[in-house]
Amino acid sequence: MNENPILRVSTKILFAPIILFGLYVQFHGDFGPGGGFQAGVIVASAFILYSVVFGVDEGKKLFPSNINLFLLALGGLLYGGVGIASMLLGEEFLSYNILGSSPQSGQHIGILLIEFGVGLTVSNVMIALFNAFVSFKSGKDK
Amino acid sequence: MISELIINAFLVTVMLAIGIALLRTRTLIFTVVLTSAYSLVAALMFITLDAVDVAFTEASVGAGISTILFLAAMAYLPKEEEENINSQTLPALTCILLGGILIWCSYDLPEIGLLSSPVHQHIVPDYILGSRDDIGIPNIVTSVLASYRGYDTFGETIVVFTAGVAVLVLLKNNTQTSKQKNKNSKRKVS
Repeated sequence: MNENPILRVSTKILFAPIILFGLYVQFHGDFGPGGGFQAGVIVASAFILYSVVFGVDEGKKLFPSNINLFLLALGGLLYGGVGIASMLLGEEFLSYNILGSSPQSGQHIGILLIEFGVGLTVSNVMIALFNAFVSFKSGKDK
Repeated sequence: MISELIINAFLVTVMLAIGIALLRTRTLIFTVVLTSAYSLVAALMFITLDAVDVAFTEASVGAGISTILFLAAMAYLPKEEEENINSQTLPALTCILLGGILIWCSYDLPEIGLLSSPVHQHIVPDYILGSRDDIGIPNIVTSVLASYRGYDTFGETIVVFTAGVAVLVLLKNNTQTSKQKNKNSKRKVS
């Protein structure tokens, strides 16, 4: 918990733009530099900044731990699910061509979905790790 | 060409300076901050090599989030590193020998961006053309990462997931017991 008003106000102002930038990096990865890994880290940094300034308990109120862990697993499942979906439609694992009306649109859909899965997993792993480290009590404190 | 040389020389000098500073510091927080600075310079170096995606990753992961995680983990470590009492001549000799071999080998590397070098001849032309014709995505890095090498990226995602879950499980026991203790102490107060 930080009482410095400049930090608190600037965190509140910066929070939404950081997430917006993360989403831009996530979904613009097909056209420019970026993708799931970078976007996940950027989105996670917004939540970590909030936790650092307002305290871990406030951060957990903003983004509860159970949702965090659920999304952490959902990202990997989404990636694997796209692979399974293409198998069920009669192609090989992770062959996106079958997912859309034309091979190109199938590729677009597949890449968008798996990048989103990567982003979900990476961002939630980072937030979960930060929370675990911060709320970890070492043996000395007991 | 000459400007590229100046930029590269500057970046290498900064990297060397950070490396020497890293060797000399014994305070953990300086080590963490200097490692972050090193990653940032490395990111700039990747930009001079036109590898913007790698630079982006290095800047966000290497300089950004790993610094935060190091700082969060550092709270449980002593502030100063202990003085190393072992002899340092053998490690130094090994490093110099290995570095010398690597520099010697680097003379055999093809020039950066040379079209006739083997890496640009094998499968890369297929990827570059396929990214335009089969996938329709301007960023070739994304099409290789997500489509042509989708299996590898799936593996990477699962590695991140597994590593995260493993750390959470390792730390979980301790946090739970402390939470229970807090509850017990609160009950006592009330």
